[in-house]
Amino acid sequence: MSRGASSSRRTVAQIAPAAAVLTVFFLLPGAYFFLVSFWQIKRYKLVRETTLENYVDVVREYLPSIGFSITLALIIAAITTSFAFAIAYLIRFREGRLGTLILFVALTTLFGGYLVKIYAWKTLLGSTGIINQALMLIGVIEQPLDWLLYTPLAVVITLVHFLLPFAILPVHASLRGIADAPVDAARDLGASRFRIFAEVVLPQCETGVVTAFALTFFISVGDYVTAQLVGGPNTLMVGNFMQSQFINRLNAPIGSALAFSTLLATLIVFLALRYGFRLALGGLRR
Amino acid sequence: MRRWSAGSLSFALFSLVFLLTPLVLVVLFSFGENPHATLPFGHPTLHWYEELFANSNFWAALKNSAIITLSVGVLSAITGTAAAFGFSNMREGPAQIGLQFITAPVMLPPLFLALALATAYAAIDAPQGVLTVIPSHLVFTQPFVVLVIYSRMATFDYALIESARDLGASPLSIFLNVTLPIIAPNLIGASFLAMAVSLDDFVITFFTIGGGMTLPTLIWGMLRTSLDPSINALGTLVLVMTVGSSIIAFKTTRYRG
Repeated sequence: MSRGASSSRRTVAQIAPAAAVLTVFFLLPGAYFFLVSFWQIKRYKLVRETTLENYVDVVREYLPSIGFSITLALIIAAITTSFAFAIAYLIRFREGRLGTLILFVALTTLFGGYLVKIYAWKTLLGSTGIINQALMLIGVIEQPLDWLLYTPLAVVITLVHFLLPFAILPVHASLRGIADAPVDAARDLGASRFRIFAEVVLPQCETGVVTAFALTFFISVGDYVTAQLVGGPNTLMVGNFMQSQFINRLNAPIGSALAFSTLLATLIVFLALRYGFRLALGGLRR
Repeated sequence: MRRWSAGSLSFALFSLVFLLTPLVLVVLFSFGENPHATLPFGHPTLHWYEELFANSNFWAALKNSAIITLSVGVLSAITGTAAAFGFSNMREGPAQIGLQFITAPVMLPPLFLALALATAYAAIDAPQGVLTVIPSHLVFTQPFVVLVIYSRMATFDYALIESARDLGASPLSIFLNVTLPIIAPNLIGASFLAMAVSLDDFVITFFTIGGGMTLPTLIWGMLRTSLDPSINALGTLVLVMTVGSSIIAFKTTRYRG
């Protein structure tokens, strides 16, 4: 046995456990979940007859809610990515410890208390919540604002807060890769701030910005817990319908068709946006 | 590097306040007498913690969370490290494709994975409980270990392994005495990261645990029924554990973003 063969056999053995976990608990369930979207529930039983009826139902009944979720997710992703970019930009281009502190806070609260964060915003935004209390105390308003909680705005604020650390990291990573020399050179040669930003900084952090936007966009489209806790009865994300098909109506096929339709629509919107931005960025540089 | 202007300084401070205020408030409310989560906090008290610790559901949830989190931490460390070694032996191109596959579960919304797993478990009549939650977490925590260890191996000095081999050490002995001590900080950090992710997960746990409870599903139950003020105490404990794990993770791996 040659040494190359034994080493490649060892590589396979090393990857095998993780690959087995991925196959059994992701690929196979995902494939089965996809098949289920073509089946039906009849008299509380799953019937394995291939049909497109679930997808017809999705188009007929849930298209507006998919559209609403994608729109809200686009708003959330746009706000979060711009917010994160501004923070990461200051961390990269301003001296001192404040940037390091913000980065530390973002890193350590990244995986901390998803439900706790949503619940905290619920108490913050309520009509007796701290934001209303503070605004009334300083005399900006006389009556509490009742549109802070149980509205799409509450979902936007809560998800921007939850997703901000996720967006700061990739943008920061790509901004950190920008060397000082080209930026200084451009400035010394008399380039305006805008031209330095558009032609030196932006092209080099495109990957980070796209990653941040994709991550926040995809997570927002699929999130239903936030809408359920702070969105009120009129802010329903497509995820709310998906989980209710499973939990309340025990109809996995519709839920599955809804999940795959949403995923496809999200992907199409994302790719179209990225193509549009590429064109716009190209125009900016010329 | 430029200095902070008044505008950028106030924006940075606003960001910091925005990120921290919700979390700080939950902690402060958990120690205040006022049960309504409004100002003023009221006198300092441990009453909500006493109430939480008297709740038998809390101990059941804590036990399940502990079993799941520790198992997921250990298992992700094993499968993730092994896979990272495998990928670092491969050429860059194929390794990147493999990494894309392994990290795919993290890229999708958690609800998607949760529903796929719940449907599959129902199809094979798997009895749902802690034992179905553990592998369901493992599939989206192992990528974190793979990524951390893979990037560590990129700067690993393989000459050390070759000298150990030339001196007659067995592969196991090389792993235990050479490789493991060198990557230990990264491995510990990566495992704590995996544990933070597992401990904090609500959506996938909710759909794969059947009737049982973990700390996040207990929080969910308290939010759905009445607004029980001891939720602040529970929230504080979850924050301390997840943020604590994350701090350990980033300190040991010396990760700087």
